[in-house]
Amino acid sequence: MNRLRLVLLAVGGTGLAALLVAACLGLPGFGGRSHPYGARAVHASLTRHTANTIASVNFDQRAYDTLGEMSILFAAVLGCVVLLRQARDEHRAQPQPAEVARPVRRYALIVLPVALVTGLYVVAHGQLSPGGGFQGGVVAATALHLLYLGADYRALERVRPLAVFETSDALAVSTYLVLGAAGVLAGTSFLANTLLPYGTFNTLSSGGTVPLLNAAVGMEVASAVVVLLANFLDQAVEIEEEHGS
Amino acid sequence: MHHLLPLLVAVPLLGAALLVAVGHRLPRIAAEITGFVVSGATAALALVLLLNSSPPMVEWVGGWLPVGGESVGIVVVGDGPALGMAALVSLLTLAALAYSWRYFEEPPRGHRGAFTALMLAFQGAMCGFAIAGDLFNAFVFFELMSVTAYALTGYRIDDAKAVQGALTFGVVNSLGAYAMLLGIGLLYARTGELSMAKIGRGLDAAAGHGGPDALVLASFVLVLTGLLVKAAAVPFHFWLPDAHAVAPTPVCMLLSGVMVELGVYGVWRVYGTVFAGPGGIPAADLTRALVTLGTLTAATAAVMCWYQRHIKRLLAYSTVAHTGLFLVGIGVLTPEGDDGVALYIIGHAGVKAALFACAGVLLDRYGSVDEHTLHGRARELRTTAVLFAVGALGLAGLPPFGVALGKAVTEEAVGGPLTAVYVAASAITAGAVLRVTARVFLGLGPRPQDADSDLETSGAGEEPETAGLLSRIPDTMTTVPALLLAAAFAVGVGPGFGDLVARSVNEAGSGGAHASVHWTLPGVLLGLASTALAVALGGLAVTRPHWTTAPDWARPLRRLQSGHVGDYVAWLLMGATVLGALALPGVLGG
Repeated sequence: MNRLRLVLLAVGGTGLAALLVAACLGLPGFGGRSHPYGARAVHASLTRHTANTIASVNFDQRAYDTLGEMSILFAAVLGCVVLLRQARDEHRAQPQPAEVARPVRRYALIVLPVALVTGLYVVAHGQLSPGGGFQGGVVAATALHLLYLGADYRALERVRPLAVFETSDALAVSTYLVLGAAGVLAGTSFLANTLLPYGTFNTLSSGGTVPLLNAAVGMEVASAVVVLLANFLDQAVEIEEEHGS
Repeated sequence: MHHLLPLLVAVPLLGAALLVAVGHRLPRIAAEITGFVVSGATAALALVLLLNSSPPMVEWVGGWLPVGGESVGIVVVGDGPALGMAALVSLLTLAALAYSWRYFEEPPRGHRGAFTALMLAFQGAMCGFAIAGDLFNAFVFFELMSVTAYALTGYRIDDAKAVQGALTFGVVNSLGAYAMLLGIGLLYARTGELSMAKIGRGLDAAAGHGGPDALVLASFVLVLTGLLVKAAAVPFHFWLPDAHAVAPTPVCMLLSGVMVELGVYGVWRVYGTVFAGPGGIPAADLTRALVTLGTLTAATAAVMCWYQRHIKRLLAYSTVAHTGLFLVGIGVLTPEGDDGVALYIIGHAGVKAALFACAGVLLDRYGSVDEHTLHGRARELRTTAVLFAVGALGLAGLPPFGVALGKAVTEEAVGGPLTAVYVAASAITAGAVLRVTARVFLGLGPRPQDADSDLETSGAGEEPETAGLLSRIPDTMTTVPALLLAAAFAVGVGPGFGDLVARSVNEAGSGGAHASVHWTLPGVLLGLASTALAVALGGLAVTRPHWTTAPDWARPLRRLQSGHVGDYVAWLLMGATVLGALALPGVLGG
């Protein structure tokens, strides 16, 4: 079987590689001037007073894709919660506090608030500057985990009541969906960005529903990453397989 | 009306999110009722939209209507096939939720409603994929569909096999998704568009008079690889039996009944909208590729199905065999073929989901889905026995089941020697199911001997999905399969239903040519022939047990299903290469 696998891999891999190389020769040259989609997206973003075109694509022009993507994260985290639950032959052990080197502790505790604020800043300015809900959410969620490095697992557990984060994850998804459905209720399209004023270009409140959808995604990502890491950490730190049973 | 299309995705997802948010505070019954209401409401919405889908609806999400023929938004299509699939998905989800009513032993601690939430998310994802008119958006929902399906497959984590099956499923399908994304990237680089219709027009414009080139071929191969992995066509199919053997029964009903078929639907949609033009892949090449792979799929899976003793694996292989038949049907690119496959898929969904539901009854009553150890033990389950036998006959294509109508129309469309493939594949798979009925539910024939082989998966000693073995079968677990079979029957006898399906399919594709669909004498005779053949095969297998011991020539074929993810990945690469080779002549000729 091993040999067959290698033969298949060789033949299949070579064939696909040849196809991809041939395809790449047909790609447009690097640095061309024609960007039909890009030009349209920038134009559309400017008409709706959204300074960051990426945010306009994510939360306005293709907000429906973002709905799918945030649902993927939501479903993946829910799936992890289900799959990483305590199995019948496992039990929970209380993790023992470990000694943390003083410089590590000091550094972690100084950086934690900075990282948290940075994350929130990146979320809040998503419609203005590079970043947004996805990126800022990850930064904010990982910031909390500096507590695990700087103090210990129990300290981390105290600052992240899991049930709260699971609920806020789900509520953020609901918020996005309700904002989308508001368009239908108002007689226009799902996720239509026509309900709120577009505001002054390049200010925090510009872009209509873009900041709201962006904030919902930020909240979803932050909560989801916390829950996800918690489930993996639980497996590593607390849940132990039972021996001799 | 068209503004409501995205709600087919939004409603189930909102239900899932709310169940996760408050599910742990609700009593279990409330969580389950929420699941019913949400999936039922979505089904109702899909049906209402379906009834209004002529002429086909189009919706630009976010109101980004095209200006001067250009749009930056995402288009969602509401034609007959799209909404028909969404309705099928929703009705089947409703059936699966009803079947699993107070079914699992205990939901995960502190996460009551997680199973229902995942099912609803799965429903939303499948609806989103069905109505997608934008290739990237289709990819997004393809991924959402996959992610929920992996989690649902591995739901019973206490069984190592479940985790292994889900992992295999995850690795192979994720690779398929990457291939698809790569293909979308190539198409975007060429055309600067993401909407399927615009990509198709862009390819035609870029090709000029030259026809397709290597980039078009590569994107075709990559996108189709993703879709064929989902459709479980040979040699991309290995994940399916491993996943179906371990997934909870209600999940199997959805995976086999409609998710795999969505892969076929995706091939139909993508080819017809993106690659059918002069700049795409010539029709002859598509036909060669799909008919070859489809025939291979039907043949391989029929053989594998016949030699299974693990009942859920047996049913899984029968799904693979039928997918092969669907692929051949859409591969011939005729309006009749499309109509036939549409009816076939609807009928098959009901029958296959019912069969899985009955297999679930065996699992929960006896803790086994092994044909050998269960020999004669299920005599007491009279209702389930009748349902299982009726399901087997429906699978064989006994007129007037919907399967038979769809199969007859498709057979007429493909014509010639391919008809024999249809009759043989459906007779062998149904014969295997009839054999199980006779042995397990009636105790006919001698008790089969266990083969001295390392290639057997017995299916004995499985954990039931309920709290302990059931002493009496709950009404929901017999009513749901009965209703599903009744629906599959109604598809065939409902006056004008076939024509209605044909009209809505042809309105969306097939260049507007309308084919009429009705029972014909040859169709009925072929259906009766495959049923008779199935009964004969089943009877022979019961009276001569050595007929079901795998002969030596089947050994290498069985050995391929090794359970090793690496093998499956190697086959995936090989499959992509074969697909490229099959479609190559048109590109060289252009």
